[in-house]
This record gives sequence, structure tokens and C-alpha cells, in this order.
Amino acid sequence: MKSITDELVCYATCINNSELLPMILFFIGASLLLFMFYMKTQTPIHRIISFAGAQTSMVGAIAATFSTMECSRMFTIEVYLAYVSISTGIMIFLPGLYYKILIKRHNARPISEIVDWADEFVNTLANDSQVYYFDSAIPKAFASGKTIFVSVGMLEIFNEQELKAVLAHEAWHLRHNNKTPILRQLSLMTFTKYRPKQELELMADRFAEEIVGKVPLESAREKLI
Amino acid sequence: MVKVDRINISNEGLTKFFSPIEAQIMEVLWENDEMMTSEITKKTNIPLSSVAGTLDRLVKADFAKRKVDKNGQRIRYIYSATTTANNAANAITTRILDSLVDTFGAVAIENFSNYKKNK
Repeated sequence: MKSITDELVCYATCINNSELLPMILFFIGASLLLFMFYMKTQTPIHRIISFAGAQTSMVGAIAATFSTMECSRMFTIEVYLAYVSISTGIMIFLPGLYYKILIKRHNARPISEIVDWADEFVNTLANDSQVYYFDSAIPKAFASGKTIFVSVGMLEIFNEQELKAVLAHEAWHLRHNNKTPILRQLSLMTFTKYRPKQELELMADRFAEEIVGKVPLESAREKLI
Repeated sequence: MVKVDRINISNEGLTKFFSPIEAQIMEVLWENDEMMTSEITKKTNIPLSSVAGTLDRLVKADFAKRKVDKNGQRIRYIYSATTTANNAANAITTRILDSLVDTFGAVAIENFSNYKKNK
């Protein structure tokens, strides 16, 4: 086992002597360029793709750096690989279980008990999904796994069209919930902030607008301000 | 938070025991049998964004109760106070007296007695 200082010297020596140095520099350069594009572009889909691309290039640079190491039993590599394995496992398996914890925590009930059209509407947008409601006066909706949660406070203030706008927004999240953990995982692997949340919300809004139109979406938004 | 356990004796009226919004809502609930959220916001003139969280806290603290009511396609909460204003005053007073006796024992009891005589 080496000290951290020894490991840093080892990294510098191995990278300098390695044939992979141009590749590492290429990945870092690509990552910087993609991140600059991410900062410049305004289109949500371009922002998400460039952000994911920048992160992937950083992961490529990290992998290339690790493969240049000639020393055995590098502590930092072992720690990083353990961190990546554990966080990947959590990111993959948690969404499939977390909705069950949320149902229990909020004491949520199937929405079919009080609203007859919601499950059918959401299933036309995201297969095998379900809608639950929970006891709170605060207007709130969120999605987890294959489930959308809506508070009674939201059911209170929204009419049917506005509620459809909210459900369509959340259904977009359900349709893409296999991709968002990848974005989160890339951020974890590169130790950077998870940024695309705003873009994802914008894309979900656009999808809701396609389904129910602009008016209900905007009036729903106004009621939440 | 509903703060019967954190009394502020320098405040006026019910705000000794409740936050100003909680006090306004409780007064409305004590004056009326059953109220919808929209009626509470109208009577108190407090926006929904402030009322909603406070109602959740009052229900959790058992000062208010609510049921989900379905009127046609519309869902709404119907609120009511869990107890009358007098019963709530009684419960709050008992808790305060218990606390004073716990802390000051005979001195507190003697003071209650003097207070009653002076009244």
C-alpha cells in the first residue's frame, strides 16, 4: 500500500511515460469542448446530450488514466472502483424499489378510489404505470419507478385538464426513468454536479403541452406560483 | 410549527400558542362547522401557498381534522376543528398548569390560590 503522495507521483510518472497520453488529452479536450457547448446552447435536448457527452469523455479520461498505471494495488483506483460499483448498483436497483417505500411513507392510496379516469389516461402515455394519491394540502406531484404520486391538495385546485397536464408531465418522467439514472451516475462518476434537472423538466413540460395543449399547462403552472 | 410547547408570553392572543397563520385558521375553524380549503383562504385572506402547509401541520398536531370529499368530478378537503375553542383552551391551560406545578411545586399552587382570591 502506497501513500497518497506516492500514488500522485506514480500517476504523473506513468501518464508521462505512457502511449495513452494523447488519448487522455483527447478525452479531456473533448469533455471541455462539450461542456462549453452545453453552457452555450439553449435547446434542452442539446444541453442534455452535450452534458452526457462531456461526462462520458471524463469517464473515458479516467479509464485511460487508470490503464496507464503500471503499479499494482493502487489504493485510489480500488476506492474509485468500489465507489462506482456501489453507486451503479444503487442507481440501477433503487428506482425499482423506491416507489414502494414512497407508497408506505406517504400512506398513498390508488387514485382510482377517487378519480376514475387518471390511471387509464396515464397508461395511454406510459405503459404499466399507476397513479397514487396521498394526504397533503400542499399541491405536489412526482414520479418514481412506474408510479405517479399526486397530493389531494393538487386534486383540489386543478380541474381535469390541468390535472391531465400534470400527469402527462410526470408520465414523461416515467417514460424516461431508465435514462435519468444514467445521467446521475455519470455525475457521480466524475464528481460533478448533476445539472440536467431543469432541462428534463422543460422537456416534460413540452411533452405535456403536446398532449393537453398550452392553456391547461400554463394555468396549472400559474396556480402553483 | 404548532407551538403549544413553545409559549411566547409576550405575544398577543392566540399567537402566544400558535403562529399568526395557525391562529387565524383555528379561529375560522372554531367559528365554522366545516370549511373547504378555498373558504379558509378566503376568510383568512392568506394565500393557498401559506395555508396548505399550515393546514397539514394543524392536522398532524390534531387541532384540525379533514376528510376527502368528492363533489362530481372535483375533489376537495373538508376541514373542521377537532375540538371546540373552549376545550382547546382547557387543554392548553391544563398543560401549562401541569408544567408550572412540575417546575415550581407548592409555590405555583400557592400563587394559583392567591390569584383566585385576588380575582
